[in-house]
Amino acid sequence: MTQYVLMFVGSDEWRETSSKEEIARGYAAVGKWWDELSANGVLKGGEELAKGPGTATTVRRVNGQMKVFDGPFIESKEQVGGLALIEAPDLDAAIAIAKSWPGGDVEVRPIVVH
Amino acid sequence: MGKYAFLFLDDGVDYQTAPTPEQQRVYADIFKWFETNGPKIVDGGAELQPTRTATTIRHAGGKATVVDGPFIEAKESIGGYTIFELPDKDTAIALAKTWPGHGVEIRQLVEARDEQNVPADLAAR
Repeated sequence: MTQYVLMFVGSDEWRETSSKEEIARGYAAVGKWWDELSANGVLKGGEELAKGPGTATTVRRVNGQMKVFDGPFIESKEQVGGLALIEAPDLDAAIAIAKSWPGGDVEVRPIVVH
Repeated sequence: MGKYAFLFLDDGVDYQTAPTPEQQRVYADIFKWFETNGPKIVDGGAELQPTRTATTIRHAGGKATVVDGPFIEAKESIGGYTIFELPDKDTAIALAKTWPGHGVEIRQLVEARDEQNVPADLAAR
């Protein structure tokens, strides 16, 4: 078995344009997916990241000095909105799990085993 | 106290294949940094393989498409993550400044939700 990280990516558009009911339905679907994969041992951990102004700060080395910047590391419509650590037999299986995520686009990355 | 995700930024250095002595030193310093800050970690998270191993699933027009590569091609990418429990954002920034690697995106986590699992800030809108 190999562990993979799923990075859930998306824009704020869905949050801004959806009705209260659509948002509740979306979170219900995500909650169900999360509970099922936790129960069968596939999902090992994960978190939802807060979105919106003031929730991201980037610190990076510039000419040898750490400097602080407001916002995420990349200015883009798409941002990482959540993370999950899963266990799967191979990349194809991990991709199949990522495809079943009800929330939107997903980047799949194998992890480094120490 | 609050939980903060540290998304460690990768500036293209591949520590897994033939790192230079300087890069090896940074990698060793990173190990020490995790040891020192261990008590503040609530979820160790993971170190990710380089972006050349990434696959992205796109949902366009109701169909899932699988493409090679990260969700965005840029000079920097996410190389790993760890969740810390810290008193406040200023403490998180101070800790991130001590990171021996290239950089960190600090993100607050969704901690408060309503009874339907919706984050409190969205539910209150």
